[in-house]
Amino acid sequence: MSASTTPGLRIDDRLNPILVKEVRQSLRGKYFRVLFWLTLGLGTLIGLSIVASLGGENSDETGQIFFMAMFGVLSAAVHGFVPFSAFLSTSAEWDENTYDLLVISNLRPRQIVQGKLLSALIQALLYYSTFGPFLVFAFLLNGVDLLSIVALLSGSLATCVALTMLGIAASSLASTKVLRVVLMALFGAGLVVAWMFGMGMAGTITFQPQSLRDAEGQTAVVAYVTIALLVAMLGNSVANSRFAHEEENRSTSLRVMSTLVVLCASLWGAWLHWQFGGIGSLWACHAVAAAALFVPWIFFMTEPEPLGRRIAAHVPRNSLLALLAMPFLPGGGRAVQLALLQIALAVSSSALVLLPSSTPVEEIVKTCFLVGMAYGYAFAIAGLPSAIGAFFLERPSARMLLRIFIFLSLPVGVILPALAGLFLGIREWTRFEHPFNPVWVIADFEMQRSGLGGLIVLAAGLVAALLLNTPRLFAAARETLAASRARKAAPKPSSSAPVADAPAS
Amino acid sequence: MSALEVQAISKRFGTLKAVDDVSFTVHPGEIMGFIGPNGAGKTTTMRICSTLELPDQGDVLVDGISVIEEPRAARRRIGFMPDSYGAYANTSITDYLDFFARAYGLAGDRRRQQVARVIEFTSLGDLVEKEISSLSKGLKQRLCLAKTLLHDPAVMILDEPAAGLDPRARVELRELVKALAGLGKAILVSSHILTELAEMCTTVTVIERGTMRGTGSVAAIARGVSTKQIIFARTLTGPERLERTLLELPHVSEARREREGVVFEYAGTQDDLVTLLTQLAGAGLGLVEFAPQQVNLEDVFLSLTEGKLQ
Ligand SMILES: Nc1ncnc2c1ncn2[C@@H]1O[C@H](COP(=O)(O)OP(=O)(O)O)[C@@H](O)[C@H]1O
Ligand SMILES: [Mg+2]
Repeated sequence: MSASTTPGLRIDDRLNPILVKEVRQSLRGKYFRVLFWLTLGLGTLIGLSIVASLGGENSDETGQIFFMAMFGVLSAAVHGFVPFSAFLSTSAEWDENTYDLLVISNLRPRQIVQGKLLSALIQALLYYSTFGPFLVFAFLLNGVDLLSIVALLSGSLATCVALTMLGIAASSLASTKVLRVVLMALFGAGLVVAWMFGMGMAGTITFQPQSLRDAEGQTAVVAYVTIALLVAMLGNSVANSRFAHEEENRSTSLRVMSTLVVLCASLWGAWLHWQFGGIGSLWACHAVAAAALFVPWIFFMTEPEPLGRRIAAHVPRNSLLALLAMPFLPGGGRAVQLALLQIALAVSSSALVLLPSSTPVEEIVKTCFLVGMAYGYAFAIAGLPSAIGAFFLERPSARMLLRIFIFLSLPVGVILPALAGLFLGIREWTRFEHPFNPVWVIADFEMQRSGLGGLIVLAAGLVAALLLNTPRLFAAARETLAASRARKAAPKPSSSAPVADAPAS
Repeated sequence: MSALEVQAISKRFGTLKAVDDVSFTVHPGEIMGFIGPNGAGKTTTMRICSTLELPDQGDVLVDGISVIEEPRAARRRIGFMPDSYGAYANTSITDYLDFFARAYGLAGDRRRQQVARVIEFTSLGDLVEKEISSLSKGLKQRLCLAKTLLHDPAVMILDEPAAGLDPRARVELRELVKALAGLGKAILVSSHILTELAEMCTTVTVIERGTMRGTGSVAAIARGVSTKQIIFARTLTGPERLERTLLELPHVSEARREREGVVFEYAGTQDDLVTLLTQLAGAGLGLVEFAPQQVNLEDVFLSLTEGKLQ
């Protein structure tokens, strides 16, 4: 390391510090080396034995079996070892007490997470490039076409990113040793399941290549990649907010992310509507998004109400900006604002997509109503108990219990009436056709059967949730504006360093 | 200007008041001992100073920068060495320091220079390629100090740095800390064992159960604790007569025999002391020694806290 101005060294300076550290560690350690040579050896062995056993008869079958075997080994590496080692290296930051050191070194949570992801992806890249020749060989054996290989590899890459991100997020959640062991077992089991699922997909694509030739098959692949990337982004924001220090703002990035989920649902809905027509796919996208938002909403709405001193010190001075930023700041009351904002966004975007088309007005209204219903359920179930809890909750453990309670109240609300129906002899209820089952109520409404019971329950829940949340909704707004005014009144900070989130010099 | 200014900070954990209205300042070049028994709130206070914890009330200014409003700017001026410091697996000393130098945003030649400088300062030069996990506790401690120095902070906060070190490593640590103060850094160093700090600190802050029991120079605190002086006297006629005579004189209390003479507490003024000395000299006891004792850190600490040491 003598020359200092060569371009190589300048690039070296720009690399993510965590990435540099992780790569050095894995070069020094045994874990990666042993697994890599093991995988490579196994791959070669299996490949050779398949070619040898099938002998000279060069049918499509040979290529397909060979490809599947190679993909199986590769997939174990990139969907198994790589995410798992990302999990281990992230939980090492807790085990080795280096977490606080990272925080005070001014490394941003984003840098930490990116570094972990990138170093995992470098490992994955090594596997991909090692197994590349094998896959080319499978192609040369015939039996697997290029489209299948491209589809499988892009799906596999997206899966690898998603699983790695999930691994990082999972281990960032586990700050205690017991939790770490439990999560490690769960994650490991999840990876095995994911591997089997991947093999199933690969089998379908390899042995029935015609399934990829039509628009539906290709849409399915693109949809899968989008969802995998969305999952990765969700994991990314979870890990980011976990690596932000306890005292920092952990909520805003997740809130932005959840808004992105709504936008994504709108875009996918719009695209599917233009591609295939009909309105079912549009509101189905939003129904999925609403289900996905249920859990983050529970967390946001049960956050402590006060802004906190550090966050209050960063509320925009301009009161208009403060109002715009408000739903994205931490606090339960502001989470209610966020949820209402996202519902408005979903409904209005659905209307916007349908208006230019020749869809009749009543169909548009009905679609918007269906979209609103899906989100309305999530809002009522999360908003009602959290509003009540906000009146008396103090301790963090009570907060966690409330979250679990709200989460369980959905399945319990669906199952309990069914059991009650069994005892009371109400046939429909035992078939889960009761007003507390959102899926049934929405489906019922969609098919224009006149089941009013469900709508009444939903409306009552919504009204109650809105009423009970009104006080904290306004209190949150008042608090935000007060913080903004206080910042305007206070003298500028003594140093010239930029406030808020300016990058480190 | 003071480098570290702790302004009336309080912090609760549930119902427990871990830190209650603590204030003190550390100036450049000053080594302040932060002393208190286990659970006194030292670590909590230091974590607040290092932006890792947020106080419920009060604020801490580092070079005039608030740790609440501008934590990132404050972090660039603080070197915090936690009591449990991390060491990565499969990492050499150079790689470890290089990583944290990168994390602090040091680039190119500057990074290499800084790493070389802290290695030299902490005399780790011969070990740079060693794995951290194979280092002794004292060496790990020195490595952690080196890491803390990488970004050249103006304020150093060391949490129990001497805990678990052998006497030799402790002396080395003391010399390093003194050298750092010589470079103009403000240093706050905590311990629950007094002797670790006694020869290092210029000032002390004593804390117990979250509350401050005093801050300032050792002598100033001692004065605040009591106006009594401790004096040793010896006469040719033996300690019994001296003791009897002393107890009859004003402002004298707690006399006890020790080393052929008598140690007693004296609560009078300096003028009274002149009178006392004249009276003793004139009493025909053969006074050969009369020595006011130096107050030491140990005494201060014992009189300030309720003796729940270690
Ligand atoms: N994160 C925490 N949660 C709850 N209690 C804590 C936490 N950190 C410290 N405490 C409590 O605060 C008190 C002060 O702790 P600490 O500052 O670590 O003391 P010291 O460093 O002087 O030994 C102790 O009673 C400790 O149990
Ligand atoms: Mg401590």
